[in-house]
Amino acid sequence: MERTEKAKSQNADNVLDHFNLFRQPQYLEMFEKKKCEFENPVPAEEVEKIREWTKSWEYREKNFAREAISINPSKACQPLGAIFAAVGFEGTLPFVHGSQGCVAYFRSHFSRHFKEPSSCVSSSMTEDAAVFGGLNNMIDGLANSFSLYKPKMIAVSTTCMAEVIGDDLNAFIKNARDKGSIPQDFDVPFAHTPSFVGSHITGYDNMMKGILSYFWDGKAGTVPPLERKPVDRINIIGGFDPYTVGNMRELKRMLSLMGVNYLILSDNSDVWDTPTDGTFRMYDGGTKLTEISDAIHSKATVSIQGFCTEKTISYINEKGQQTAVFHCPIGVRATDAFLMEISKLTGKPIPEELEKERGRLVDAIADSNAHIHGKRFALFGDPDMTLGLTGFLLELGAEPIHVLCTNGGKEWEEKAKTLLEASPFGKNGSVYAGKDLWHMRSLLFTEPVDFLIGNTYAKYLERDTGTPLIRIGFPIFDRHHHHRYPIWGYQGGLNVLVWILNKIFDEMDKNTIVPAKSDYSYDIIR
Amino acid sequence: MTTLSAKIQEVFQEPACQKNRSKSDKERKKGCTKILQPGAAAGGCAFDGAKIALQPITDVVHLVHGPIACEGNSWDNRGSKSSGSKLYRLGFTTDINEMDVIYGGEKRLFKAIKEVVEKYRPPAVFVYNTCIPALIGDDLEAVCKAAKEKFGIPVVPIQSPGFSGSKNLGNKLAGEALLDYVIGTEEPEVTTPYDINIIGEYNLAGELWQVKPLFDQLGIRIAACISGDSRYKEIASCHRARAAMLVCSKAMINIARKMEERYGIPFFEGSFYGISDMSEALRNIATLLVQRGAEEELLAKTEILIRHEEQKAWRKLETYKKRLSGKRVLLITGGVKSWSVVSALQEVGMVVVGTSVKKSTEEDKQRIKKIMGEEAHLIEEMTPKEMYKMLKDAQADILLSGGRSQFVALKAKVPWLDINQERHHAYAGYEGMVNLVDQIDRTLNNPLWEALRTPAPWD
Repeated sequence: MERTEKAKSQNADNVLDHFNLFRQPQYLEMFEKKKCEFENPVPAEEVEKIREWTKSWEYREKNFAREAISINPSKACQPLGAIFAAVGFEGTLPFVHGSQGCVAYFRSHFSRHFKEPSSCVSSSMTEDAAVFGGLNNMIDGLANSFSLYKPKMIAVSTTCMAEVIGDDLNAFIKNARDKGSIPQDFDVPFAHTPSFVGSHITGYDNMMKGILSYFWDGKAGTVPPLERKPVDRINIIGGFDPYTVGNMRELKRMLSLMGVNYLILSDNSDVWDTPTDGTFRMYDGGTKLTEISDAIHSKATVSIQGFCTEKTISYINEKGQQTAVFHCPIGVRATDAFLMEISKLTGKPIPEELEKERGRLVDAIADSNAHIHGKRFALFGDPDMTLGLTGFLLELGAEPIHVLCTNGGKEWEEKAKTLLEASPFGKNGSVYAGKDLWHMRSLLFTEPVDFLIGNTYAKYLERDTGTPLIRIGFPIFDRHHHHRYPIWGYQGGLNVLVWILNKIFDEMDKNTIVPAKSDYSYDIIR
Repeated sequence: MTTLSAKIQEVFQEPACQKNRSKSDKERKKGCTKILQPGAAAGGCAFDGAKIALQPITDVVHLVHGPIACEGNSWDNRGSKSSGSKLYRLGFTTDINEMDVIYGGEKRLFKAIKEVVEKYRPPAVFVYNTCIPALIGDDLEAVCKAAKEKFGIPVVPIQSPGFSGSKNLGNKLAGEALLDYVIGTEEPEVTTPYDINIIGEYNLAGELWQVKPLFDQLGIRIAACISGDSRYKEIASCHRARAAMLVCSKAMINIARKMEERYGIPFFEGSFYGISDMSEALRNIATLLVQRGAEEELLAKTEILIRHEEQKAWRKLETYKKRLSGKRVLLITGGVKSWSVVSALQEVGMVVVGTSVKKSTEEDKQRIKKIMGEEAHLIEEMTPKEMYKMLKDAQADILLSGGRSQFVALKAKVPWLDINQERHHAYAGYEGMVNLVDQIDRTLNNPLWEALRTPAPWD
């Protein structure tokens, strides 16, 4: 009896946590036995053989010949992007017409990335709604969320379910309004955001355009459309940006330094960075609703992440505004171009303070360039960010080898190629549009690189291939607070530089850390 | 202080020093570096010089007697690599406080030695004196002597208070300490006619290891390297070596000269930097060894090795020639012998527009003139302002220098490559020259410089 007590690895006096539990000899023994006696295991050599085979060129070719299955795609769905855009407006509750499960995912996705509560509701469609249409869910849903959460605006997007059965948002919302779910003059912009089309950046675009066109074109037929009277002001749209908290604040700081009269369309830097002071802020900050209407009069709109705003920008163009499009500008030249465009549009000179910051970033690069020069990188992410990062890597003298974008198309591919071709450091680089992280796995095995840049999911690639991961992208779940740091502007370039350098130095240390073995090069000065 | 000032005078009188010989008696007494100008920027002190000269001895305890400043700022600050003990990387100091200053720090020092001996059982303890104990009159030598008797291991006093002079003086004081207390105190277990000492090589970035395989191949044994990657016993018994190579002539010339005097070990000055210099060094070592009883065939073996290694290096360098040919280099260096780097750079077609000769001997200067031509720009002393102007005017494509001039180069928007002690790439030997050229190539071709040279595009 006593013997069996002892043989248990868990006992009340010393309860082991998951990190250690299954490493106990009892478990190891049990697993081994289970495997041999019950699992009819493939011999270990065979497993090893196959593992090695998946690293080969032969496997890579088979992997790239995949036609139907996506394995570890690096993209999210439209409503996620729609919510991202919606929460950037004052007191706005994102409302997703469709099934509630999707919305639970969106909320947890954002909460895990921003470490903040993320408010969003759904119309909780069930089977009968799928059969008879979701009108009643919309009517009840708008009424409930309006009275429960007291929003100033509800921004409606859709899940696939509502899209498949063909629910008409415009008609449904009008119906709900007529039924008294919400006041007649309560703002409910909307966008159809089917997930089987595009990705989260498409959803961002649709919702942004949905909100602007709702306000500018007569609020779904309830008021006369606005007439544009140009004023000396520019609009800025950030796009789907994992660093929105840091970036928006940095952006505002730079624009204020320049003395620019600007309006940010969708500023979610406050709602995803609320203070802990005993007050729960379901809504915080954001673009004022009156400013959405004002924005039509601005002389120009600048989109910082063009692939997130394709439809929005052409809509704004049609309204007669000038537009300028960037692709997540990171680094010296990209920031130069961005600031010069702002300067050109507004006639405001770039102040000395910003020029000094530019010099500081150049200085930082100069101090450290030897460590990055010639290092080979693989990177993946959203279309704009991969372009921005590629540009910065080239600027640092690093070599982007594999540039992969699951939600990138032909246009992205062309842009990425042009970028690589313009620099001698890009000549070994290849561009992979529409590919997933299992493709990336083959790339990393067959054509190894020094470092990998990507989101949290790339940690499995890091584990499998041994390629050190620099976490930049969306989502970042397993490291905290990166979103508080800007990656735009010269300050942002500095952050990205430091993240890259930190990994390089960490690797150098890791490579030299074994006492009495490799630590003769484990130095305090790097 | 009399022993210290006597030591300093001894070092100043060093007869093997070319510079010394050319001075008048009066000048010589004043020492090597010019009197410091209060308020003007200056380099390291004698303590720093002594510490960096000996710190590469890996298995001894380097104990700094003084307040926290001295060791606190110098602990493990040199990329001098060890193939064995890591003891030299620990920061040991008596960290004396106010009461010690009032009542004297000798007791604390003695206790510190006791504790460190008990804890680490090192083959020896090196005790460095600093300004404060020297000022309050702690008798370092007496404490070390007592400790040595009590604990039965060598306890070596290094008289190097910062106020006694420059870093370079400290290097020499460290050498004196080795001569007085270490070298010749033990006998080697084995000796061969192929034993050499390498003096003034610190194994920075593992450079000695790039050269050692060449010696190994020739059957030449390094009895002691002073002081890179060395053990106490090697240095204590290195007086039985047959020949010596002096690598950094200024820092430790006193060791080489006195060992020749005391033990009859002939030495030559050489360098591991540059292909022809590396070959020359191998040749000289072989020649000295053969003169002192090594087999004649060593000479032939050396020539074969040289031919083979040179060919290998040239093949590798060939690829860079095209890209580097005609590029203009300004060379500002203290530690490494500039003429050897000059010839190496010329070997890949680069143009050396100027080189510093601050630490070069007359002979060095003659050599530089020989390679670079009479109108060669030899720079004795250069303020950052002058350097800036020169970089601007000479339109050099790259500056090779120590870390301190880095910022001057960046200001002048000229690419810069670190070739002094804080560098992390090894440039010694045939391999090293290829490394250096590769680093120059990378530095020159980094896209940063374009960003740096072009003004903000809106200007």
